[in-house]
Amino acid sequence: MSAHDSPDPSKAVLWDTHHHGHDVISTRSFGYFLYLLSDGMLFATLFAAYGVLSYSHSYFNGPTPADFVHPWYTFTQTVALFLSVLAYGMGMSAVKKGNKAGLMNGLIAAFVLGVIFLGLDIHDMMDLAAHGVTVQTSGGASAFIVLTQVHAAHIFFGLLWILVMMAQVAGKGFTTDTVGRLLSLRMFWHLQAIIWVFVFVFVYLWGYMS
Amino acid sequence: MSHGHDNPILHPEVQMSSTRGYFTGFLISLVLMAAATAMVSSHAFPPFGLLMVITICAAIAIIAQIYFLLHIDVSEHNIWNTVSLVLFIPLFILTIGLTWWMFSQLYLRTMPMMPGMH
Repeated sequence: MSAHDSPDPSKAVLWDTHHHGHDVISTRSFGYFLYLLSDGMLFATLFAAYGVLSYSHSYFNGPTPADFVHPWYTFTQTVALFLSVLAYGMGMSAVKKGNKAGLMNGLIAAFVLGVIFLGLDIHDMMDLAAHGVTVQTSGGASAFIVLTQVHAAHIFFGLLWILVMMAQVAGKGFTTDTVGRLLSLRMFWHLQAIIWVFVFVFVYLWGYMS
Repeated sequence: MSHGHDNPILHPEVQMSSTRGYFTGFLISLVLMAAATAMVSSHAFPPFGLLMVITICAAIAIIAQIYFLLHIDVSEHNIWNTVSLVLFIPLFILTIGLTWWMFSQLYLRTMPMMPGMH
């Protein structure tokens, strides 16, 4: 299947006596990848709704993203999320060597940076509400808030999942189950950075300039 | 079990983690997002040109992240992830594109007096 399985000529056996069952980790992570693609379709419908509701008449003469988006503020959220994703990746590189402490450091860093991202987002939403921009303001504001906050909800559940994985790895170590879940969470967390590029560029930045 | 061994650490999906790859993906996407933010907040180009430039920034950042973070490539272990992503992309684009197209045509025909129409 892969490079590390290539036979060592000195230890080569002619008959494979082991039973090859399913590759449990690969089967689960592929299933989870398909689930994440369907999550991508959820975002497609929200992006479509935002595209349809971002005409100037959609804002009902109220504030538009050009009035309430602050590009450099949202850029700090981008930095926090990308660093969180990087920290998770570093943690997974430690798993490669069976380094539990390295994984824990990566998970803690990813968690703290994710909390910073979410804190900045909540602060931004409170600020919008204080300036009278809520889901009730206009169709355009509804589409903007729902799309950005569905992404934030993904981050929230990802943070919970990071806590669960810290507890499971601390208790059970690296088993097929925990390592498989770490791989699924890696896909989930890295996909949030990819979705965030869409949200940041086409909702925040494009909204600000139009 | 997994490829004839029981140690989950040796599973190819664990072993494909690469610190250098994650750092490269991080750096490329962060630099592109900083460039897009700087251009948009200084209104460096007229709106249509600006939209094109930030779309290119987003496209390169997304491709870099898909390659370096999700490990989507043509290696034997990952080929079905790649196939399902490639089949997913048209669904994603059609869902957004056709919805937007239908409503933009509707607005053209039903709200000719509204400002902001193209």
